[in-house]
Amino acid sequence: MSGATNKRPFDAGHAAYLALNILLLVFLLAPIAIVLIFALNPTPFISFPPVGVSLRWFEKFFASDEFMNALWLSLWVASVVLALSVLIGGACALALVRGCLPGRTFLTAFFMSPLMLPAILTGLALFQAYLLVGIGRPVWGLILAHTLVAVPYVIRTTLAVLHNFDRRIEEAAAVLGASPARVFFEVTLPLIRPGVFAGGVFAFIVSFDQFPVSLFLVVPKGETLPVVLFNYMKFDLDGAIAAASMVSILLALSVVLVLERLIGLKAYVKL
Amino acid sequence: MISRHKISRRQALRASAGLAAIAAVGAPSILHAQTRTLKITTWGGKWGDVMKATVLPAFEKEFKCTVSADQAFPFVPKLQASPRNDPIYDVLHTNSNEQWSSLVEGLVMDKITAKEVPNVADVYPYAVSDKIVGVTIFTSAIGLGFRTDKGLAKPTSWKDLADPKLAGSRGGYIIPVNSLGQAHFMMLGKVYGKGLTDLDAAYKALETLKPIKLVDFTGQMEKMLLSGEVSMGVIHDSGVYRYDGQNQPVDFAGPSEGVLALEQVLNVTPGSKVKDLAFGYINYMLRPDVQKLLAEAVWYSPASKKVKLDAKYDARLLTTPAKVATLIQPDWKWYNARKEDIDARVTKILKG
Repeated sequence: MSGATNKRPFDAGHAAYLALNILLLVFLLAPIAIVLIFALNPTPFISFPPVGVSLRWFEKFFASDEFMNALWLSLWVASVVLALSVLIGGACALALVRGCLPGRTFLTAFFMSPLMLPAILTGLALFQAYLLVGIGRPVWGLILAHTLVAVPYVIRTTLAVLHNFDRRIEEAAAVLGASPARVFFEVTLPLIRPGVFAGGVFAFIVSFDQFPVSLFLVVPKGETLPVVLFNYMKFDLDGAIAAASMVSILLALSVVLVLERLIGLKAYVKL
Repeated sequence: MISRHKISRRQALRASAGLAAIAAVGAPSILHAQTRTLKITTWGGKWGDVMKATVLPAFEKEFKCTVSADQAFPFVPKLQASPRNDPIYDVLHTNSNEQWSSLVEGLVMDKITAKEVPNVADVYPYAVSDKIVGVTIFTSAIGLGFRTDKGLAKPTSWKDLADPKLAGSRGGYIIPVNSLGQAHFMMLGKVYGKGLTDLDAAYKALETLKPIKLVDFTGQMEKMLLSGEVSMGVIHDSGVYRYDGQNQPVDFAGPSEGVLALEQVLNVTPGSKVKDLAFGYINYMLRPDVQKLLAEAVWYSPASKKVKLDAKYDARLLTTPAKVATLIQPDWKWYNARKEDIDARVTKILKG
């Protein structure tokens, strides 16, 4: 009897909701599963179903100087882009919300414009600009280009936090005698930090996976991982590509997890 | 007699001091010569491995320069976007179709002759024919690759690709982006119509090849043949021969109507600041020893007549005047002028 009373009636809406969630998860995760299968398949070509399990493509990836140099360059560039984007994007967002700037709407659209322009055109335009001023294609030029397309992510996430910001907390700190600098570092910054760093995570991933902008801006022996993978694919389409993709996915995931541990992105998610 | 030519210790010291003085005075110019950089484009894959490991270091040592070799596509758009008087490349390595489109825009030289590059005197006529801008250093033969384990007879004609048995398991290219696909398209005009420029016949023949699996790159076609996803497909001979000795059930057939040339062409940019070095590089690439090394590494047919390949390679590659005569060179100038229209039409045909 008690079992019968505890039994919940079938809820079609709830079941549909669950099914939709599962479908979405499969849709999002299936490509990663397929890439993993290809990365572990020992055949010298991408085929399905797999004939076995082998780490030969991971070995090839990690043994290749070309892949390793590209991987480290991508990581280094993405790390610098993360730092620059957080600084520039955070400052821009603060200025847009607090600065009482004339034409604020226009300025917001202006800062967001790199997201609206096809990235390949951004890359081509910067390539021409760099050559015209005679600086060639330095690595800092690549970093600047990545920063240009990454900053809008930080601005957008920081703006979201700032719009929900209760300014009375800052005012209370000021009334209690804190200097403007102290208010900023001890009140404002900790409160907007989740938004800034969530944007930073986007910036890192956008830079690490950046292909169209990098295509025109990399130099011989200074190519980022996505560019090296694209060129590799033209001549050797084997499991090393899948292994490289898995490594990229794991690295991006690691960055997200580390940042979550360090600064608690969950707080931002709850906003 | 011998004693008259003897050099005393004092004379030797004087001579050494004199040479040292000359060296010191000339040092800046020598240093300048040593630091010159040649900017080139080159392929990746096995070709790129051999170039980076052997060919380019030897060139740098001999010519006392550094080579900046760009393997990151797209080469021509980058060259287009760079200033004409200070181009991003000194030597452009592409297939023939891109050299023609580059010539139209004034990005490369028209012809490379034996006057600038002495080893051009030793190349087969096709390498500097009127179908070539710059100079061909290697060629592949575009024909049909096929699986040997599917009970298929070795193809003898381009028409064999249209065999109904191959429906869904024949392979071709996305014509707008792949030069093998474009060359094959022209060949359809020749095989089914009046010649390489018979577009109507080519369009009609393309319809008969449906359903067909299309890829962007030759590397993808290689893998589709290896995996058995495709039983027969358009491919260049080196894309099949490179698996020689790996026990793969694939082979290459040169159809009786002739094989298409997929030339590896080098050319110099008119605005290059190191033209002498650029010509020197092309001359170096046409040297028999360099030609042999690369030909045997990647199964490309050398353009130089002076190259003697090992028997295994000699038997399969185009190394004699008779074999070279089977090459058909498409008129890329003609094709490029109509490319937009052709792209639109073939895309419509193959979309389904």
